[in-house]
Amino acid sequence: MAKLPFTNDIRTLRFLAGEMTQGDLGDRVGVTRQTIAAIEQGKYSPSLEVAFRIAHVFGKPLEAVFQWGTGTN
Amino acid sequence: MTYKEKASWLMLVAMVLAYSLYFGLIITGHPAGKSLFAMLWLFGTIAATQAVVVIIGCIWLAIEARKLPRARIDERDRAIAARGTATSYYVLLTAMIVVGVVMPFTEPAIKIVNTALFGIVLAELVGLIVVVTSYRRGWHG
Repeated sequence: MAKLPFTNDIRTLRFLAGEMTQGDLGDRVGVTRQTIAAIEQGKYSPSLEVAFRIAHVFGKPLEAVFQWGTGTN
Repeated sequence: MTYKEKASWLMLVAMVLAYSLYFGLIITGHPAGKSLFAMLWLFGTIAATQAVVVIIGCIWLAIEARKLPRARIDERDRAIAARGTATSYYVLLTAMIVVGVVMPFTEPAIKIVNTALFGIVLAELVGLIVVVTSYRRGWHG
């Protein structure tokens, strides 16, 4: 499977948000714990809506959660 | 594993077992490969048994999933299911062209029916393999 052209800081943000679990984040975003795990591992590219919801949970702009890889077209 | 992933594995394993038996018997000379009546009995029995096993298994998985507070089907499950369906469509289309357009000119009815069944099973298997692989290796939409 090709690597995603972007990375994310969800794991770090969860830690900074009082060690929020993947399940808790999933509940607040409306997806399963497994989907949060897949996003964190770069195994799933979330929809724009879910990406915004994740950023909203942490009170951050989208680009603070997801970063486009340098040198990627 | 999510409920959908477990259910996909259950369906895949049940299909492989059931239809390996069916087509294995056909290849080794079972009357179902020569007579429509025998074929209907054999296929009906195996398909019904497989369906019952899958239904009971899915009910059990659903009951187990309800015990977890976060069991739901989300956009990733739907995206992966759509990918499996899209892939199996091409296999099914190819198989149906073979059995509906090519084989009627040269083959007996029983062989056409069994090939059509094989095409349907193969399409479903390919779709399920795409689904379980997407869960394991990742799906980037």
